[in-house]
Amino acid sequence: MSYVTRVWQDHKAAITPWLFLLPGILMFAIYIVIPIFQSIAISFYRWDGLGEKTFIGWENYRELMRDDIFFTALQNNVIWLVLYLLALPAGLLLALFLNQTTRGIRIYKSLFFFPFVISQVVVGLVFSWFYDPSFGLFNTALMKIGLSPIAVLADERYVTYGVIIAGLWPQIAYCMILYLTGLNAVDGEQIEAARLDNVRGWRMLWYVILPQLRPATFIALVVTVIGALRSFDLISIMTGGGPWGSSQVLAYYMYEQAFSEYGFRMGYGAAIAVVLFAIMLIYIGFFLAKMYRDEKGR
Amino acid sequence: MAGITLNKAIKRYGAVDVIHGIDLEIEDGEFCVLVGPSGCGKSTLLRMVAGLEETSGGEIHIGERNVTRLDPAARGVSMVFQTYALYPHMTVAENMSFGLRMNGHPKAEIAAKVKAAADILKLNDYLERKPKALSGGQRQRVAIGRAIVRGPEVFLFDEPLSNLDAELRVEMRVEIARLHKEIGATMVYVTHDQVEAMTLADKIVVLRSGRIEQVGTPLDLYHDPDNRFVAGFIGSPAMNFVKARVRDGRVHAPGLSDEAFAVDIALPPNGTDLLVGVRPHHIAIDPQGASHTLIVKEALGAMFHAYLEAPTGERIVVEVPEAEAVGLQGDVGLRMVPDRLLLFDARTELRLR
Repeated sequence: MSYVTRVWQDHKAAITPWLFLLPGILMFAIYIVIPIFQSIAISFYRWDGLGEKTFIGWENYRELMRDDIFFTALQNNVIWLVLYLLALPAGLLLALFLNQTTRGIRIYKSLFFFPFVISQVVVGLVFSWFYDPSFGLFNTALMKIGLSPIAVLADERYVTYGVIIAGLWPQIAYCMILYLTGLNAVDGEQIEAARLDNVRGWRMLWYVILPQLRPATFIALVVTVIGALRSFDLISIMTGGGPWGSSQVLAYYMYEQAFSEYGFRMGYGAAIAVVLFAIMLIYIGFFLAKMYRDEKGR
Repeated sequence: MAGITLNKAIKRYGAVDVIHGIDLEIEDGEFCVLVGPSGCGKSTLLRMVAGLEETSGGEIHIGERNVTRLDPAARGVSMVFQTYALYPHMTVAENMSFGLRMNGHPKAEIAAKVKAAADILKLNDYLERKPKALSGGQRQRVAIGRAIVRGPEVFLFDEPLSNLDAELRVEMRVEIARLHKEIGATMVYVTHDQVEAMTLADKIVVLRSGRIEQVGTPLDLYHDPDNRFVAGFIGSPAMNFVKARVRDGRVHAPGLSDEAFAVDIALPPNGTDLLVGVRPHHIAIDPQGASHTLIVKEALGAMFHAYLEAPTGERIVVEVPEAEAVGLQGDVGLRMVPDRLLLFDARTELRLR
């Protein structure tokens, strides 16, 4: 027996999982892990993407500190984050509402899930038309009740909120599906036990149902936070960051700096990306810590 | 404390009746076991008493009160579920006190009641644990504790021991019997296990397809079943049944013996088909005979179960003491006492007495 076959025979059980993991690890390394470190490296250079790279140390970050649009983007990201969290209670309410066995309930569930299935680009277009000052449904409705029209996407006071509402539409659908799945796993006998304890309505929801939905809430929270932080498509389709940078978010600003017609400032874009990554890392750390605790608790 | 009266209770799902008008009287303080095969409606009936299933027709009284349309919480009942239904995010103490806390009882009273229940069930060491950290038997004790704390008039048990392993099941069975003695409340207990029914019950209600087959004390049902179903359901190992026919005023059961035997009850006309039922310990093996073939012997210790095949192809189980069973093999005969045989009409399956 050759050395290789003997090692294989003796350690089959130990090697096999790694063989199965190998393709995934390779892909993840090439497309995710290595680029993260490359981005961090690039953020210390001035580079137009084609010519010579010049090392400039922290200069890109110093420039960020003086950049008003960067702070607008940062502030908008926080607004996105906070308002996006509304998707959780809204999704839960919809899920509770749809969690019944009526004729055709599957069709209703699919309809409510629909916004998540269609592309964010389409969502953006639909909402752009919805807000359109000349023919949009929104302003038609405002005028019907006697209010003056608002050009939501052209008004720096409203534009971010307008885009967030468009983003909430599919996000609520996503949370709803997560909660619907969670509700399937709720123990019916616990609910009956609670009914015998004279618990109903909101107290039933709070004391008996929600604790059982904790795994669903956790996943919904994570995907919503990440969804809010990486918001890009809707900004790109609906406003392009405007008017005057007032609806800018980090992900789009990075793209604009690094790749768009305003110039190929790879280093500066990478610095924005690093800041965004650092913010996300807080949540990823929280996520991992929680997963670790749960696995240990078992 | 209160008894329970069911008056033509009906449960209907759409056009399908699953409980067909049940009349039942359960005395105050009685331990009543609803027993039957799966799908017989025993759990549904219990849940109707609890108020978790709506009663489609008839009335349910607990004590003097008509509870037919009352909310589960207003009926004065506590229920113990098969899966325990403990709240996983609460400690044992929180689980037990949840109902009282939700209904605004004073803290001191709650603490006292939880302590009393924990004393009865020996749960004092586990009060701060979560259900996850308990064994199956302990979880079921917590579930029972939660029921006790509410101080109900009636306890309802829905197959509470089915999720436990055999050893624990016996232990908890004794525990529940002790509890009934100690508390003295009316208890209704659903099970498909006739041993549980026999050992726990003051009164057994045998159900089949949403109808009551027979009500009585365990020994009544055992010795004096009304029909073939009850005779076959109660008792372990189950009663043997062989086909028979009335011949010249005697009963001829070829599965038992070539010779017809006389019985001292009035028999139906000549040629009527009957079923003869006999319990495995009411017949004996005659090693000298050769009418039956011994297929398998099961050693249970002091007793053996001998599986015989009759010339008619019918199977008969006989309980044999160890001493006689050891040498048995091949063809054997049967000895029986005609008094011990139960006769049933083959068509209606009703007992002939």
